[in-house]
Amino acid sequence: MKHLAKWGLTAPAIIAVTLFLLVPVIITIAATFGEQKGLFSPYITFFTSGFRRTVLFRTIEIALITTTISLIIGFIAAYVIAQMPGRAKSVMIIAAVFPLLTGVVVRSFAWLIILGKNGILNTILLSIGVISEPLSMLYTEGSVIVAMVYLFVPLMILTLVGVLEGIPQDLIQAATSLGATPAATFRQVILPLATPGLIVGAVLVFTGSFTSYATPQLLGGEKQMMMGTFLYQRAMVTFDWVGASTIAAIMVVVTIGIVAIMSRIARRLNPMAV
Amino acid sequence: MTKSVHPALIALTACIFLFLLAPLVIIIGAAFSDTTYLTFPPQGLTLRWFSNIFQIEAFRTTAITSLQLAFLGTALSLLIGIPAAYAISRYRVELPRWLSTLFVLPILVPEIVFGFSLMKSITIGLGLPIFPSLLIGHALLVLPYSVRVVSASLASFDFSIEEAAISLGCPPLKTFLTVVLPNIRAGVIAAFILAFITSINDVSVSVFLTGPGISTLPIQILAHMEQFFDPTIASVSVLLMLVTVAVMAIVEATLGLTFLTK
Amino acid sequence: MTVSLSINSISAHYGKTTVLQDLSLSVGAGELVSLLGSSGCGKTTTLRLVAGFLQPTSGTIKLGDRDLTTLPAHARDIGLVFQNYALFPHLTVLENVAFGLKQRRMATQERQQKAGAMLERVGLSGLGDRLPGALSGGQKQRVALARALVIEPPLLMFDEPLSNLDAKLRVDMRVEIRQLQRANGTTSLYVTHDQEEAFSISDRVAIMNAGRIMQLDTPEVLYRKPANSFVARFVGFENLLPLRAIQREGVLVTAEGSGGARIALSQEDFGPIPDSFVLGCRADGLSVQREGNGLSAVLGTRTYLGRAYQYQCTTPAGDIVANGALSEPLAAGSAAVLAPVPEQCCILTPEK
Repeated sequence: MKHLAKWGLTAPAIIAVTLFLLVPVIITIAATFGEQKGLFSPYITFFTSGFRRTVLFRTIEIALITTTISLIIGFIAAYVIAQMPGRAKSVMIIAAVFPLLTGVVVRSFAWLIILGKNGILNTILLSIGVISEPLSMLYTEGSVIVAMVYLFVPLMILTLVGVLEGIPQDLIQAATSLGATPAATFRQVILPLATPGLIVGAVLVFTGSFTSYATPQLLGGEKQMMMGTFLYQRAMVTFDWVGASTIAAIMVVVTIGIVAIMSRIARRLNPMAV
Repeated sequence: MTKSVHPALIALTACIFLFLLAPLVIIIGAAFSDTTYLTFPPQGLTLRWFSNIFQIEAFRTTAITSLQLAFLGTALSLLIGIPAAYAISRYRVELPRWLSTLFVLPILVPEIVFGFSLMKSITIGLGLPIFPSLLIGHALLVLPYSVRVVSASLASFDFSIEEAAISLGCPPLKTFLTVVLPNIRAGVIAAFILAFITSINDVSVSVFLTGPGISTLPIQILAHMEQFFDPTIASVSVLLMLVTVAVMAIVEATLGLTFLTK
Repeated sequence: MTVSLSINSISAHYGKTTVLQDLSLSVGAGELVSLLGSSGCGKTTTLRLVAGFLQPTSGTIKLGDRDLTTLPAHARDIGLVFQNYALFPHLTVLENVAFGLKQRRMATQERQQKAGAMLERVGLSGLGDRLPGALSGGQKQRVALARALVIEPPLLMFDEPLSNLDAKLRVDMRVEIRQLQRANGTTSLYVTHDQEEAFSISDRVAIMNAGRIMQLDTPEVLYRKPANSFVARFVGFENLLPLRAIQREGVLVTAEGSGGARIALSQEDFGPIPDSFVLGCRADGLSVQREGNGLSAVLGTRTYLGRAYQYQCTTPAGDIVANGALSEPLAAGSAAVLAPVPEQCCILTPEK
């Protein structure tokens, strides 16, 4: 009876995920094999094409840079927030998380206004005389990275505040009582204990930026094509569905691969794992 | 009692918050500008870009579609997610490990791959009409929230009160509805809100599933941007932001927002 | 190197609440003084003030001739043993113990040697390479102790170090702590809510309540001669009877309490008895007898203690808990007499 209950309760969810997620994605990946031209031919086409390789590497590069910058910015903010007394801390967390809830379109579009030829940044730079002609900042790797960092910093802050608060206060007091200056306590106690959580945050941001669509579409356009926008183009513009499926398969492999590897590392490094 | 934080760090953090919030302020300002192009600070103040939203039929219909998808999709995901979360929490030991991973798959698989695959297999493969396809996509997209957030709430639930109710003669289903559910209210509401906001703002899944006549608000905004780069986009964004603020205000009033840091 | 700790007129606030008001305390060189009280009495606050995790709003703290009051926490050179051990989970046991030495810039070789030697002293040799997660509660406590001792601090402070251990271990560990403290002669401040623990290992005990020290004395004096009714109740004088001397005949004093209850006390047994006083009695301090000299009472519920019977008694002066001999079990409802047993009683002056 209990057997029936536990499977009965989970069955609808299991069926939904399997039928509408697992199976379609497997079909997509399977569609990349079994080409007449050879089992791996779509992949060979992909990796021998200079253009496609560039898209992949550009995506990896942008994702790495975004992750690094978000880590640094996020950690500084999270560190300060974690030290704040209750009331101020809640306000700061809400302020940091609010952008997360406004959606990707709104947040990417803001940078169009700021970085455009008639945008705020150009206006300011022109008026103080740093430049004589408006800079073309959009549709560059830089504009994509700025918008991506803006997208992911709140997520990083949220993750890292949780991580830092998970470090018991009395460990910090113990270190201080043993003579560790605040800097030494940070280096020898806080940082090592926060590292597993840092890895988790980094993985979230990396996979998120690697698979992003809306932000590269708005701020990168065709000049800065990334895997997400490339997939869309192959599927809905050129109707090259095998090509699109190939891109999809590579994205899945990279995402799941990174998550699996980094989770292992994070768990191995976590001394407080229960 | 605040511990002393290096002033340089505080200054940096202030800059970071400026970085986070300034763009939103800019959008809000630009939405009121009495110009046909997007500019900040706004030149002249007007509400015409807000009324423009309601005059453009595409925005009206896609807004309604987005709301329908958000409500229905969230409801669907809660319908299948809550029982699953309950089963996982209650019978944790007896269920296979891969089950939790299965329910988290929608987060692991890139949204864009999910949307593409769904379109290929369901919309085209099975010939399912657009709205149902979108609904399935959204429901699955937000399923992890229903399962994970409700599970977290159930983790601190004392199952012995369930046993007490049953021993006092209350049948299982009624017990669930009248004893368990009210006590995990916070988790369910949190899941609903996160799911709702995720669905309303989604692009990556919807972009493949929308079609002639049926689209979602974010996709429509993207389309509008390609033709008219005017303050209407800013005002729609402000409207979307207002929805978020309204939602957060409701949460704050009923629960307090500190659960966000879990 | 033994120094004394002196806390002078310390006040501390949490927001609007005053937690400590004008508290003063000295711990002599080599002495172990306990701060004893229930939660909220201010004992942990006092410890945190000395450690530097909290700033006083007034007053000074001196260790020997060093003024600690304005010194940051990491510069105070005090050994702290925490309630939850606070071992660094990412460092081995040896690295944990050597942590303080590392902050003092000791060379790796030397500090590992010293840490290893200290681990031996606390009976944990061979566990140096383990991680704290793999240790039992008692072992963790010893590592925490070793870590605080190895830096040879002029002052050791213990924040309820044994409350997370089971009863038997608690007794064994407190003896060890006392022995180590005595052997090193380190001045120590010990915070606990466990009366038996405080009394068994301390040179002196400060019983605290609501941010004030109610009495600071040796355990023997506290136990026998409490200075006020709070301390009296704390050390087990369950029954407090306000009385007035109405007749004096040589050393014999007849005293009367509320409801006309009368009792005769000899100044030979009790010492000088003022005109207005409170008689504090433990349950053993009033012996239940069928008849004789003493406070008249009517007996209520009887419980069996193993070594005696305990009775809930009603007297004109109020409800009393008193013990009676096993040889004479008396029934509920019967009249009896409660005879004072001087060694289990105390005399208090009423204004405290």
